[in-house]
Amino acid sequence: MRWRGSLHALHAEWTKLRTLPSTWWLLVATVALTAAMGAAAASSLTTRVCPTPTACHEDTVKLALTGVQLSQAVCLVLGALSIGAEYGTGTIRTTLTAMPGRWRVLASKAAALSLLTSAAGVLAVLSALGLARLILPTPPPVDGAMFRAAGGSILVLVLVTLLGLSLATLLRDTSGAITLGLGILYVVPVLSHVVNSPTWQHRLQRWAPMPAGLSIQATKNLAGLAIGPWAGLGVLAAYAVGLLVVGGTAFRLRDA
Amino acid sequence: MTTPTKTVQPYRSALHPTRAGFGRLLRAEWTKFWTVRAWLLVLAVAAVVTVVISQMGASGSTTGGGPPVVVGPGGEVVNDSFRFTHRTLTGDGTITARVTGLKDASGKGLGPWTKAGIIVKSSLKQGSPYVAVMATPAHGVRMQWNFTHDTAGPSSDLAKAPQWLRLKRLGGKLTGYASVDGEKWTQLGEVGVGGMRGTVQVGLFLAAPVHEIVHRSFGGTSEVAGSGQATGTFDRLTFQGKSTAGGWTDTDIGAPTADGPNSQPGTTTVSPTGTYTLTGQGDIAPDENSPDTVQMSFQGVFMGLLFMVALGTLFVTTEYKRGLIRTTFTATPSRLKVLAAKTTVIAAITFTTGLLATAIGFTLAQKTLRSNGFKSPEFPDLSLLENPALRAVVGSAVLLSLVAVLALSLGVVLRNSAGTIATVVVLVILPQILSFALPLPVAQWLLRVTPAAAFAVQQGVTYYPQVQHNCLPESGCYPLSPYNGLAVLVAYAAAALLLAAWTVRRRDA
Repeated sequence: MRWRGSLHALHAEWTKLRTLPSTWWLLVATVALTAAMGAAAASSLTTRVCPTPTACHEDTVKLALTGVQLSQAVCLVLGALSIGAEYGTGTIRTTLTAMPGRWRVLASKAAALSLLTSAAGVLAVLSALGLARLILPTPPPVDGAMFRAAGGSILVLVLVTLLGLSLATLLRDTSGAITLGLGILYVVPVLSHVVNSPTWQHRLQRWAPMPAGLSIQATKNLAGLAIGPWAGLGVLAAYAVGLLVVGGTAFRLRDA
Repeated sequence: MTTPTKTVQPYRSALHPTRAGFGRLLRAEWTKFWTVRAWLLVLAVAAVVTVVISQMGASGSTTGGGPPVVVGPGGEVVNDSFRFTHRTLTGDGTITARVTGLKDASGKGLGPWTKAGIIVKSSLKQGSPYVAVMATPAHGVRMQWNFTHDTAGPSSDLAKAPQWLRLKRLGGKLTGYASVDGEKWTQLGEVGVGGMRGTVQVGLFLAAPVHEIVHRSFGGTSEVAGSGQATGTFDRLTFQGKSTAGGWTDTDIGAPTADGPNSQPGTTTVSPTGTYTLTGQGDIAPDENSPDTVQMSFQGVFMGLLFMVALGTLFVTTEYKRGLIRTTFTATPSRLKVLAAKTTVIAAITFTTGLLATAIGFTLAQKTLRSNGFKSPEFPDLSLLENPALRAVVGSAVLLSLVAVLALSLGVVLRNSAGTIATVVVLVILPQILSFALPLPVAQWLLRVTPAAAFAVQQGVTYYPQVQHNCLPESGCYPLSPYNGLAVLVAYAAAALLLAAWTVRRRDA
């Protein structure tokens, strides 16, 4: 019985997401922006930067996946809209009347979003890497590090979507969630570069979600990273899941 | 027979008819803003966050006392070390020499701004006033004085033809000349430089600035020092004037410490035919490598900007969401006037708040920086009412208000807060993050063409064209000059405003 209920909740959330045109626009944008920016970044690798493949210091896999830095903003918007729009229009009250189990509602939203984002993420990462292979004169080797970067990038997109969902649940407002989310994602890394203190730079690189999460994309020079690839992804996951639990608790305790 | 016609008086409002003046419209929009308590709160939070983060950024920045710095006549920090073959000159006089060659002495390549030429310098003290004419490998003949001034002369290729140089002192004026044959002379410039009265030092000089080759990748940036030593050859040296010394003396101005890593004392040799060969290192130029204490005081602006974007967006998108926009357009059918009033109100509010926040933030951050070891003369005291501090404070406030206008205009076009906020933040902030990681040419291109270029207005360091400098985004360098950078954002805001004006007239509300 319980399983049937969860499936029904998931089905309801899936229908809500599926029938919104904005969802598909955002998913298409995720794929297109990741691929386009990856291609642009790969073609920026001129002979002026890299005279010969052996003298090249660039991490070509990471370069090809640069687009994730842009498309994660789209994923954040997708996550925030999935519940923020319900608060904005009042649908949340209908939803909660139909499905009083609030944790179940949130979990099914998260599941439906993860499903869609990971599908879009697979397409996005594959097309970015595929384009880079076509553009780069010496394509990066297909090895474990590359699979880690590719799989990790998909996970980054999923986790950022969940971050958007949890912030919007917590704030009950789309604009606030997006502003705060973009602040956490983008502004903190900028600050980590401009602060003139190596200690603080290192700390911010380690503990801010975006630089830590994106360290999964590194395939070269791993010793130079502020935080290891998987540990970095763990930091981002901790932010996303932690905020989801906080948001869920607030969701459970507050009136809609 | 005609039926009596009954005339019905149409309804007329009892109110006195007035045109909706722009002043009233402004007042209406201002009322819409200040009566929303959440927006006032966001505005206050924006100001506080800007100040607090600037303060945190400043307290995180420290400096250890480096080697003593040399300060030029204009009060700026300069490099002043070179090989000098000189004698004294009292009163008027002329020195002429021919530069016949310039080559690398370290085996790492010749820097583009390696200098060989003649100089008149008020004393042998580092940082003292000077006027020089010189030949360079990549930038032709130049006349430079007092570190920050530079005039281009004819282009020359020393490998093909030697270059004649002449400096003439007459009264308080110094005139530089260049020639290819020693007969037809081109005047490069005439300057009166303060502090050059009485006896001065004149002679041949050679300076070879260290030029850095950048290796940059996602893992980090490393700079590899290129050449730091060069050899220049001169002949046909003639000197006219009164000198207390009988011959030429050699000095390494600003000689590096004997045990330093790059301590290569300069040499001067004279052949019987009158060829002077000088080997030396160093540079005579402004120092651009010290941290920028102006820029370090504005880190909160990055965060304050987010709130301004949100305010600018919501100021119009909430009207669309709640349907208030229809009431607004019913009351004032001229849509462009409404747009103009909205823009004026949001720009004024964000500018005032931004100015308050950046002025307070800057003053507090400067205090903190001073106590963290950023002291004069290496880091000159900055007055809020003088450039570059004034430019950075007002410029940051303008930046904040332009970003709000950009958000408002895009909000009119997109009529949706989520999309607008995300687009504007991505446009303004993401280029910065990408510029830290992408290859240098692309990174610099991004910081030229995206609204992120506007952050150049916070720069306090002047980048002189006569100094080779690798403009690295991660060290806070923006490729555009402060005002040009801000102009890029102005262009974006103006374009968005035009687009908004076009759509708001064409579409139904």
